[in-house]
Amino acid sequence: MTIAWTNRGRPEWPPLWLVLATLPPLFLICLPLVYVGLRSWQAGPAGIVSELVRERTLELLANTVILAIGVTAGACLIGTAMAWCIERCDLPGRAGWRIMASLPLAVPAFVASYAWASVDSVFESMTGAIFILTIVVYPLVFLPVSAALRGMDPAFEEVSRSLGRGSWATFFGAVLPQARPALGAGALLVLTHMFAEFGALSLLRVQTFTTSIFQSYELQFDSASAALQSVVLMALCLPAAWGEMRLRRGRRVSRIGRGSARTLPPVPLGRLRLPVFSALCLMSMLSLGVPMATIGYWLFVGQSRGQGSAEIMPAIMGSLGLSFPGALIVVALALPLVFASVRHGGRLAHLADRLPYVIHGLPGLVIALALTFLSIHFARPVYQTAFVLFVAYAMLFLPIAQSALRASVELAQPRLEEMARGLGRSPLGAFASITLPNILPGIGAALALMVLELMRELTATLMLAPIGVATLATEVWSHANDGQYAAAAPFAALLLLVSAPLVYFFTRGNAELYDLR
Amino acid sequence: MRYVSRRHFLRTSALLTGAAAFGSAARTAAQAAADTTLTLYNGQHARTTAALVAAFTKATGIKVDIRKGGSSQLANQIIEEGSASPADIFYSEESPPVAALSKRSLLSKLDDATLQQVPSTYVAKDGTWLSASMRSRVVAYNKAMVKESEFPGSVLGFANESWKDRIAYVPTSGAFQEQIIAIERMKGREAALNWLKGLKAHGRSYNGNGAAMKAVEAGEIAAALVNNYYWFSVAKEVGDAKMKSALFYFGHKDPGALITVSAAGILKSSKKQEAAQKFLAFMVSADGQQAIVDSVAEYPIRPGIKSPYALKPFAELDPPPVTPDDLGDAADALVLEREAGLA
Repeated sequence: MTIAWTNRGRPEWPPLWLVLATLPPLFLICLPLVYVGLRSWQAGPAGIVSELVRERTLELLANTVILAIGVTAGACLIGTAMAWCIERCDLPGRAGWRIMASLPLAVPAFVASYAWASVDSVFESMTGAIFILTIVVYPLVFLPVSAALRGMDPAFEEVSRSLGRGSWATFFGAVLPQARPALGAGALLVLTHMFAEFGALSLLRVQTFTTSIFQSYELQFDSASAALQSVVLMALCLPAAWGEMRLRRGRRVSRIGRGSARTLPPVPLGRLRLPVFSALCLMSMLSLGVPMATIGYWLFVGQSRGQGSAEIMPAIMGSLGLSFPGALIVVALALPLVFASVRHGGRLAHLADRLPYVIHGLPGLVIALALTFLSIHFARPVYQTAFVLFVAYAMLFLPIAQSALRASVELAQPRLEEMARGLGRSPLGAFASITLPNILPGIGAALALMVLELMRELTATLMLAPIGVATLATEVWSHANDGQYAAAAPFAALLLLVSAPLVYFFTRGNAELYDLR
Repeated sequence: MRYVSRRHFLRTSALLTGAAAFGSAARTAAQAAADTTLTLYNGQHARTTAALVAAFTKATGIKVDIRKGGSSQLANQIIEEGSASPADIFYSEESPPVAALSKRSLLSKLDDATLQQVPSTYVAKDGTWLSASMRSRVVAYNKAMVKESEFPGSVLGFANESWKDRIAYVPTSGAFQEQIIAIERMKGREAALNWLKGLKAHGRSYNGNGAAMKAVEAGEIAAALVNNYYWFSVAKEVGDAKMKSALFYFGHKDPGALITVSAAGILKSSKKQEAAQKFLAFMVSADGQQAIVDSVAEYPIRPGIKSPYALKPFAELDPPPVTPDDLGDAADALVLEREAGLA
């Protein structure tokens, strides 16, 4: 038996150095809270009431919640099913499928939205939006769940089988509960992501709080109502974060050592092999093929083909130059949060772990305006330097790094570190010599995932990047905004091309962690 | 196993450090250049501004750094930046974002000589901003789905049962917002509100002008309220002959024929007032205007400049007598949209 399910007793406080390390990210997360609070207060008590009790607020609330829950349910279903098929079945070319299943993350939301709106106007509806967003964001569930499935101990499944349970009963009774923390974290990520989604909705006809916030900023200036709507968005994230915290409370799954687990032979699919294979092909066609076809179509019909090609190298350099250091910083900030929550617990640690998810529901525009206000008043020399942009990236994407790191941190046995300490190492020394090497693949994975997300980021990059620095994402936006789709196409295609090796690295990082064959 | 993964990690770290070094190099380069160059916050179409800036630099030797973004997004950013704004010039796709800055006393007065180059209808009364180019509100329609003879005499006629699911509008668009204010000014608040309520009941709202234009071209909807240049930018991309849509102009001083403008102003906080004034002067000069109209299907603000696009002659537009200065920052449009349940 290599997995220990332990019910945690008294939560033990993290050591001082870890508490100190969680303070910088917590401080950063609180900044937009302060800004949004300040701006909302400008509306005055009467303004706050009249803003919140409008009929439109209810309409937007319904739309936002339906969209977010619909996409989350869809992404959980597809993400889990694909993870199980790819990780646990005797499917040919599983390493390749891992990349294919992750790559939709590299498709700019605007491109996916344009692609589907071009296929048929049916997709411009709420149902269509749920469908499109589901196939774009399911990797956020697929990645953590497939990592969990790979790291899972087979003993539970064997016991379940030996007790005469069938495949479905075993899946729901023995497999799924072990994957539940990963599934929960992925679901929360998708849910809060959807609250803040804007780009993909720009060509569809669905209005949410976030589209409404953009509308307020579009038609009014220093808008208090936009700030108030941001407060509502954060309030929506709270119960989600709390619910997910309940889901994992009292559970702890870890493996003793890296080398001691056995793996089950892959489940033979038998007659289902062809249908499963076709289903995976279909998914890749929907999530990658359709946007790629659109990019190809733009190139084919557009007169603006080739315009802006001088910008390609600077844009690639800009994308890499911002996203790599940005990813390093975000992951470094996320690591102590994950450690404090996984290893130690206690209310403060859990709060520290969950708070970034609340900010994750805010649109990039709000974060960028908050940082504009704060840095120009309190840190003027760094305004519109890469430093402030990296801070914005951290505020926007900490949860994604957290969910990528969590799997490896959970599996790294604290007992080994305790042993090292028993043998005389300092806490930091024990961490550096025992735990860090064990979680390195997880860190590499989180870095790669962050780079993917950062390369796609648009609003904060436009507003806060050093002047004159263009990225692939800003160039796609800029050309598409001028109606020059053929000129935008190479930049969109490059986003995918540059991302593919990163996804490979990401999935291989995970494979190294778990595949001990 | 562990050794291999550590080596991978080291290799990646080296790569990352290189990238970080690149990031900081880009930063210092940008700072060094800031002493000799103007900073322009640009909401106007990127290639138009790029063409104008290239012509300006060629003529004067003054360099211009451009920050791209949506016009309102940049105006909001400048308001947050306040007196510490790094921007010298703001060039907006629409006039309300510039008027919003003027209302907050963030803009300096432009040189009289520059203002005199532009018809007085198209400059701010207090002389803090000017129009750089003009366009017309139009109806883009799919030729297979509707005929010109079916259109109502006024844009107000679209808020009507007979246009159920056949008219697209974009409540988030700055130009739509200007049209609301024009209706309010010409026909009264009640008429503007009823128009919006009618559109909500019978029309179809889109999240962007590009999306609405695309829907008309694709035959998803018969007609859309947009600006003339959206049609021309699609036509330029796919070729005029392939266009399935055409433009309808209301004329006869109807609010549906409203002229909207791109506009620019100089930040009061700018320490490079002289160079910035030079840029604005160039913008409305014959060379500057030619650079603008060559790159986008808009009307020049200065008479005697020829556009390479097959625009309907400006003299035939017969627009309503509402000026950009009358529209101001158009903040009331959101109030009206909220009352009508559109926002």
